[in-house]
Amino acid sequence: MAREPSTAVSPPRAAPARGAETAGGPARPPRRLGRRARGWLYVLPALAVYLGFAIWPALNTLRLSLLTWDGILPPVWAGLSNYVKIFQDEALYEAILHSLALIVFFSVIPIGVGLLMTALLMGKVRRGMTFFRIVFFLPQVLPLVAVGITWRWLYSENGAVNQLLDAIGLASVTRAWLGDYGLALIALGLIGTWVMSGLCMMLFLAGAQKIDPSLYEAARLDGAGALRQFRHVTVPGVRREITVAGVITTIAALASFDLVFVTTNGGPAGQTNVPGLLVYRLAFNEGDIGGASALAVVLTVIVIAVVSAVRYFTRDEER
Amino acid sequence: MPRMTRPARRAAAVALSVTTAFALTSCAGASSSGGGTAPKIEVSTTIPQDPVTLTLAYSNDPPTKTLIDGFTKKHPNVTIKPQMTPFNDYIKSIKLSMSSDSAPDIAQYNPGAMNSLVPAGLILDLSPWSQAYGWSGKFPPASLEVLSSDKSAKQFGTGSLYAVPGGLSVLGVFYNKKIVTEVPKTLADFETAMAKAKEAGRTPLSMGALQVGGFQLWNALLNVTGDVDAYRSWVYGKPGGTIVNPAARQAAQTITDWAKKGYIPSGASATSDPDALAGFAKGDTAFVITGNWAAQTLETEMKDDVGFFLMPTPSADKPAQVASGASVAYAISAKSKHPNVAAAFLDYLSSPEAAKIEFDGGFMPVDTKAELGATGLRGDIAKVFAPVAQGNGIVPFPDYASPGMIDKLTPGIQGLINSKMTPDAFLTSLQESWEAHHGS
Repeated sequence: MAREPSTAVSPPRAAPARGAETAGGPARPPRRLGRRARGWLYVLPALAVYLGFAIWPALNTLRLSLLTWDGILPPVWAGLSNYVKIFQDEALYEAILHSLALIVFFSVIPIGVGLLMTALLMGKVRRGMTFFRIVFFLPQVLPLVAVGITWRWLYSENGAVNQLLDAIGLASVTRAWLGDYGLALIALGLIGTWVMSGLCMMLFLAGAQKIDPSLYEAARLDGAGALRQFRHVTVPGVRREITVAGVITTIAALASFDLVFVTTNGGPAGQTNVPGLLVYRLAFNEGDIGGASALAVVLTVIVIAVVSAVRYFTRDEER
Repeated sequence: MPRMTRPARRAAAVALSVTTAFALTSCAGASSSGGGTAPKIEVSTTIPQDPVTLTLAYSNDPPTKTLIDGFTKKHPNVTIKPQMTPFNDYIKSIKLSMSSDSAPDIAQYNPGAMNSLVPAGLILDLSPWSQAYGWSGKFPPASLEVLSSDKSAKQFGTGSLYAVPGGLSVLGVFYNKKIVTEVPKTLADFETAMAKAKEAGRTPLSMGALQVGGFQLWNALLNVTGDVDAYRSWVYGKPGGTIVNPAARQAAQTITDWAKKGYIPSGASATSDPDALAGFAKGDTAFVITGNWAAQTLETEMKDDVGFFLMPTPSADKPAQVASGASVAYAISAKSKHPNVAAAFLDYLSSPEAAKIEFDGGFMPVDTKAELGATGLRGDIAKVFAPVAQGNGIVPFPDYASPGMIDKLTPGIQGLINSKMTPDAFLTSLQESWEAHHGS
């Protein structure tokens, strides 16, 4: 099995210094204290932003989820009743199922496509590599709202997708894809695939470039073909990138909102409802800030649970 | 493994950011605390001659800016500073700006987004000015009803007046004169005309069921077949109001039937209202159901080939007397220092001069008797609108009935189109949302 060159050389930074510090006890030299304080000073701007715009709002959301509040009148303590109400609503379970299905399209397929593209481009294409990268990464650069509206047109009854199907003699299957009761979720998911594949490919290509070429050479000498080289050299070499891609894309699937909001808005008849959409509706349509916050907290817990699972299953077993 | 922490942190950061939006609303809300009773104001219909500056927050233009210009021309000592915000941002931010210390004096009123300002005491009860100016005779009564509510802002058509309209709208049917040669006189005629269009290879009906176009059809059908009083008490949130009735069920069934017959396009559920309108404007579609606000676009695109009628009734001897409509309305902030001047502006909205401005801005005028001299498409609209408005037949849209209603209406209609929801299930889901808000 090929080892990752990067892990082999990564030094155990800073660990001894910290150990010495804690062992120092009360007789700590004052100079070190000054250094520590200076260290915190450097961290402070970033920390302040993080505390102010991520941690504090999150705690506030938690607080709001325990209140009944319409956004204007003084809030009233509600205990866990917002949570009870949310868990009694079937719509939530449907929405969670839909977002889990979206993981397949936002995460599993794009990682597969990304790996395939990496295998095809790795070490072979030198000319025009930048061009390919830009083309495949483009969906990431576009705002999702613009992507959503464009795809809504592509998928429409007379849109490009149906024109293409017509042209190749598949006129019988043409339909307004996003308006189809059974297929809307899949059609929506494929937009996610289109958006996420480029990102995965970029991550994997970057990761694959740091694989020591001698590993490929060794594999070749051992008689490994292209497929085995890919399986035993490339894939282990980009394991970390796969984890990162898995985490980012899974979050995109579970917390998806903008794309769904502009393409189907949960339709037809709730077939593409996702939790993010329900949060929005509770907060901005119904003015139920407490309920929306409770749902947002539940969504956060789900995201953390699924992401932890992703990280557990893609962990480096050799360590 | 230093690198391992990165994805985890990133996960946390992204997950947390999901929740940020709600927390941000809290910080602004905390400062307001609402509540406070307004100081006693001396109501007057004359305004001072000293220079006065007001601010007016709004999202609809036209007609707002031209109305301001019209008013300030009459009262040169008054300056009104317009603060325009696009609609989607407006409905999210207006609550906060009205509860802030620098609240605008006058704000375009959106019942859905702003009704929590009423119980908070942040917008003025206009009843004293209404009596002083005699507004009940100057504005169509139905248009004031929807802007009146009890103190909790849950029940409409009762209690105090909180805003007055500066332009009305009406829901009806636009038709392509090249495809439909004769205006349908009855509901049956309308269906026949759609069948003919379909046979001729045209699209019978353009519909944006992704947004509001779907339930507007149901609404239009219900208006001409149902009992207007029952509908009003339901939309106004009167105790015991219900939408579970035979006419509403029949209107829902009609949607499923029309979808099965191919009158409603199969892609309607994934079509937005602007796209549906654009589809109609291209000239290959017989009908589109929407409001007079689309008139200007359609007139530019289709010239003389487009006409307008109200959804026909089942019987030819009884023309439509009820149609849905909304208004662009204005309310006065409880924090305004010059409420009498602001009220004078509201009174101006009912004047004949304002009527012209409102009509030119694409709205139906508040003064329904004003001579407009309109021709063409907008002449069509004015002709059918006047008798309905004068007969007090303008009713609110169904999403007015409760804050979450639109999220039952839109998916419900999509379910009806796809035959995945029965009319009974549809009505039950609407009533559930109603009960949740109005309770018993």
